[in-house]
Amino acid sequence: MTVTERAPAPTSDRSVLARRQAAAGRTFVAPNLFAVAVFMVFPLGFSLYMAFQKWDLFTPAKFVGWANFHQLLTGDPLFAIALRNTVVLTVGTTVPTVVISLIVAAVLNRKLKGIGVFRTILFLPLAVSSVVMAMVWRFVFDTSNGLFNIMLGWIGIGPVPWLVDPKWAMFSVCLVSIWKSVPFATAILLAAMQGIPDDLYEAAKMDGAGEVRRFFAITVPLIRSALSFVVVISIINSFQAFDQVYVLTGAHGGPATSTYVFGIMLIQNAFDFTDIGYASALAWVMFAILLVITFLQLRFSRRNSLEQ
Amino acid sequence: MSSLTARVIKLSVLRALALYTALIAMAWCALFPILWALSGSLKNQAEITEPVLIPPHPQWANYAEVFQLMPFWRMFLNTVLYAGCVTAGQVFFCSLAGYAFARLRFRGRDVLFLAYLATLMVPLTVTVIPQFILMRTFGWTDTPWSMIVPGLFGSAFGTYLMRQFFRTLPKELEEAAILDGCSPWQVYWRVLLPHTRPAVMVLAVLTWMTVWNDFLWPLLMIQRNSISPLTLGLVHLQGQYASKWPVLMAASMLILLPLVIIYAVAQRAFIRGIALSGFGGR
Amino acid sequence: MATVGFEQASRRYHGADRPALDRLDLTIGDGEFLVLVGPSGCGKSTSLRMLAGLETVDDGVIRIGARDVTGADPKDRDVAMVFQNFALYPHMTVAQNMGFALKVARVRKADIRDRVLDAARLLHLEACLDRRPKDLSGGERQRVAMGRAIVRRPQVFLMDEPLSNLDAKLRVQTRTQIASLQRQLGTTTVYVTHDQVEAMTMGDRVAVLRDGVLQQCAAPRELYRDPINVFVAGFMGSPAMNLFTLPILNQSVSLGDWMIPIPREIADTAPDVVVGIRPEHLEVDGLGAEIEVEVVEDLGSDAFIYGRLVAGAANTTTADKPIVARVDWRSAPNRGTRVHLRPSPGHIYFFANHPTGIRLR
Repeated sequence: MTVTERAPAPTSDRSVLARRQAAAGRTFVAPNLFAVAVFMVFPLGFSLYMAFQKWDLFTPAKFVGWANFHQLLTGDPLFAIALRNTVVLTVGTTVPTVVISLIVAAVLNRKLKGIGVFRTILFLPLAVSSVVMAMVWRFVFDTSNGLFNIMLGWIGIGPVPWLVDPKWAMFSVCLVSIWKSVPFATAILLAAMQGIPDDLYEAAKMDGAGEVRRFFAITVPLIRSALSFVVVISIINSFQAFDQVYVLTGAHGGPATSTYVFGIMLIQNAFDFTDIGYASALAWVMFAILLVITFLQLRFSRRNSLEQ
Repeated sequence: MSSLTARVIKLSVLRALALYTALIAMAWCALFPILWALSGSLKNQAEITEPVLIPPHPQWANYAEVFQLMPFWRMFLNTVLYAGCVTAGQVFFCSLAGYAFARLRFRGRDVLFLAYLATLMVPLTVTVIPQFILMRTFGWTDTPWSMIVPGLFGSAFGTYLMRQFFRTLPKELEEAAILDGCSPWQVYWRVLLPHTRPAVMVLAVLTWMTVWNDFLWPLLMIQRNSISPLTLGLVHLQGQYASKWPVLMAASMLILLPLVIIYAVAQRAFIRGIALSGFGGR
Repeated sequence: MATVGFEQASRRYHGADRPALDRLDLTIGDGEFLVLVGPSGCGKSTSLRMLAGLETVDDGVIRIGARDVTGADPKDRDVAMVFQNFALYPHMTVAQNMGFALKVARVRKADIRDRVLDAARLLHLEACLDRRPKDLSGGERQRVAMGRAIVRRPQVFLMDEPLSNLDAKLRVQTRTQIASLQRQLGTTTVYVTHDQVEAMTMGDRVAVLRDGVLQQCAAPRELYRDPINVFVAGFMGSPAMNLFTLPILNQSVSLGDWMIPIPREIADTAPDVVVGIRPEHLEVDGLGAEIEVEVVEDLGSDAFIYGRLVAGAANTTTADKPIVARVDWRSAPNRGTRVHLRPSPGHIYFFANHPTGIRLR
């Protein structure tokens, strides 16, 4: 992306045209800038400010320095639980998502007859809201009425308490998250795959490479940047997961805190306990962790792919 | 034809078969929850446990019951209002700002745009609490304003999308318009906007979907049923009638239906939007 | 090293009204350099790809050596291909690009390195071995594409318009390099191009295709001097042969007001005939068809004049196309002057005025 650009008309900065354009530019950007400043930049700064206060929305705020962060990182057992659960959810979603979407995209990247219909079907979950989706999956997971347990009943396995048992709840949430993120990742990877010229595959065919070989030697290396994008987005989304967790296992992080993730913890602290300062500190800790992960990921992928 | 050729043809038929099998299996994985919910929505309470996909006596009454148990139309209209206003606002203000960033030179333009890009990296969790407090300060909690105003003037992402698109339009278009004496507004409105249909479509579809499916924000902001959007309504319904699966599934289907229609119609724009963005549904 | 044979090979695309390749019969000798040439859509690339195994053969047989390879996978055919856009793997170095096929075939690493080095030396690519395609010039990329094929030591080289992505000067240079390389290696080569100059200068034999049908396959000289039909006559040679469709009167045709006698066998069979005369066989002379010179092309070593007939007999169909004649650059006439062009006897070709355009003798 170039940062500087020639304006469409020539002439010096002082000309009437240039001044008119500059004025128009400022006017056009103003409303949008206003929204971004008020609803993005201000909250960013404000939440940082709040992280150092103690506030319950009603009594005046009190400055407490690093106390929130200190409490969070050393004195709160729930933080450790949330951290662990969030990491499990993130890894448990991201890794299967990447693997599955690679395969699906590879299968979709063909000129078979009717492939368009399959693409439409496979991308359909993108249109489904997290809430509806979670509701539907709740039905599937239901211990007594759910589809999974009915099918398990056919092969003689007793009902699995998908959403009720602490050992299973996180697994179920991961499953739903994977179901939701695979279409998105597939769309991105498929678009990247379609950018690879056909004659590269033909050359590989001539060189004697079979299908699998072609996939790993040509396709995967050439979609490196799309892959790393998918990984980063998946990590960021899983880290902040809220909607599906809330609908599947409730507002308190599911059976015995087994699905207590950062998203839930944040909302709980901010609105149930109305401990705004603490919640803001948590938000910034999450942000910091995400920044580190993203940075590491970019560094890792840049070192590995010198050619794109 | 030699036997070698015959063998090759048989292999390619097998290959095609394997591929189609894989495709059907994947399609099933993608669809079965929705299909199962659809079939569940047409069963009565007793039949729920039966593993039949097509219920013998479809209980359309379940759908009618949705309207009795929750103010569906009210919520539907609310959602349409919120999604419509925000989409319209996004499209207008983001395209305006996108044009300015792409083609109008003013001081600090590029620095400002970099700042825009930086905000794209900020996760939702950081901004949601202060945004809540802002709404509270303005007195907009539990009012439609909280659902409309924050998105009305556009977003950094929408502006980014539009700017990238405007940069691909040929400069000759606006140079000709300027020579004809058009003001910047006229250049934008009359000359360039008609050419931005693809990008506008993408932005509109993405925005509509995002607002329609939004859950966290309404959860925080809205208490009254009369101004709740559908996502909130569904969860409240579930809270009240947790065991009435057929009705819950019927409600889910009803909420899903408009989006599926939009998806079917605007699929290409939607997929292109996903590929362009990083912000498909969560 | 092997012979190549197309036996009634055909390819038809779904929904097309004519086959892309219609019953091609062609045999290529061991070590021969055969050029497939023709306008776009003539089936030359299709034939090459059928030989490579990248295109299915709807009918007929393809042989390499004595083996029937019609249904075989590309990797079982022992052929190597140089692609038009080079198709170099962007994420691999030059050395890796060249060694990829050997790696797939599980050749020992040391052997791969040796073979890659040999090919690199042959093509003057030693300096580029660790670079990636994006850092190379067009000519270097083309050589890497060739190196990739050479390293494999296949029985047949297939080249799909390998020079079309190079600029004009580079093209001429590389042309001779490819020809001499092929002579050195002695590998049977099938070369596709739309450029008849390449065909004339590089091939041992040239096969001219049109609309999926083979027109003529012969040594360049023979194609030039003894074309089998009007298409081949008009395709080979630049500037193209002058072609006139003229009615026959009294066993002769009139070019403007210059009469050309027609052999009796031809005059008896049809009311009109297509007459072909190459630019170099039109002499500027006192006698001959009179033209008014419209354009003079002075190429330095040669000159061509373009003009139209002055005596516009209403029954000639040449009123719209200018006549081209080669002249000595030292005595080229000026624009606007009128000159007489006399066809050299014995260098006038006659073709039937018929879709086949077959040559009449």
